[in-house]
Amino acid sequence: MNRNDYVEELSEELSFHPDRSSIMEEYEGHIRELEAEHEVIGYEELVARLGSPEEIARMWQAENSVTESRLHWLFVLSNVFLFLGGGLLTLGYHLFEWPFLQSLWYRLLSIPNVIIALYFLFWALLGYEIGKAFGPRGMLLLKKTLLIGIVPNLVLMALTVFQILPRRWFDPLITPRFILICIVCTGLLYPVSWIGCRWGRRMSL
Amino acid sequence: MKGSTSLLVLQMLNDRDMYGYELVKEMDQRSDHSFQVKEGTLYPALHKLEKQGYVTHYWQEQEKGPARKYYQVTPEGQAMLKERTSEWHRYVQVMNKLIGKHES
Repeated sequence: MNRNDYVEELSEELSFHPDRSSIMEEYEGHIRELEAEHEVIGYEELVARLGSPEEIARMWQAENSVTESRLHWLFVLSNVFLFLGGGLLTLGYHLFEWPFLQSLWYRLLSIPNVIIALYFLFWALLGYEIGKAFGPRGMLLLKKTLLIGIVPNLVLMALTVFQILPRRWFDPLITPRFILICIVCTGLLYPVSWIGCRWGRRMSL
Repeated sequence: MKGSTSLLVLQMLNDRDMYGYELVKEMDQRSDHSFQVKEGTLYPALHKLEKQGYVTHYWQEQEKGPARKYYQVTPEGQAMLKERTSEWHRYVQVMNKLIGKHES
């Protein structure tokens, strides 16, 4: 096997990558530089110096798996699913008299502070992951994700505050004090995820 | 490539713009041939640094042969480098003190 086999194999392994041709251009340039110094470079020498094509492709695969769009939609959809889950649980509690559902409902209602803390953790994690993956460029993505991600929160809050959704559905949780806490906490989501993003940025190198 | 290697790459690019092969050679020379990475893993790391906005690239034509892709540190990269290298110096300082105490 020779250098052409290596290049062909690498190109094939990188076929999943949208920038394959520009990546290959760099690797071929690198091999040309090696050849200029060492004259003949064979397949084994290339594997020893550059790494095997599979090994290199794995690194590109890992690098390519975190894209702005994927991370953005992962968090937006996770938040939507959290709301859907909560909605289904509420609906199920009112429509069916299943003991496990009743028990789950009351257990969750008895730990609102824990739920709020976990929810903050979710947004802090969002910021952290964005900061870690995209460094300083992550701030813009964080704002974009937060603006879209927060829509279910605002819709539910408006429906509850303006009593479009009967408050008794969430009894005994919904009190004026709890609504105020929710409004304040929603306002704190951005600062919390911003701090997470700053922390992630520190860990990005 | 681990984080420290990315920091090293950034540090070298802070001295001057370099292309991939040049970076590998420089790393090898500066470390007296003791710091070696699989050269092929350098490019995904550079790509990541570029995605994070710490480096950027430009192509430069050569008199002989095809154009080379040069990497350059951005102002964000310089700021991050400053922050992380001072952290690194502090860490080394503390470790040296601790090891010194231990040895004595």
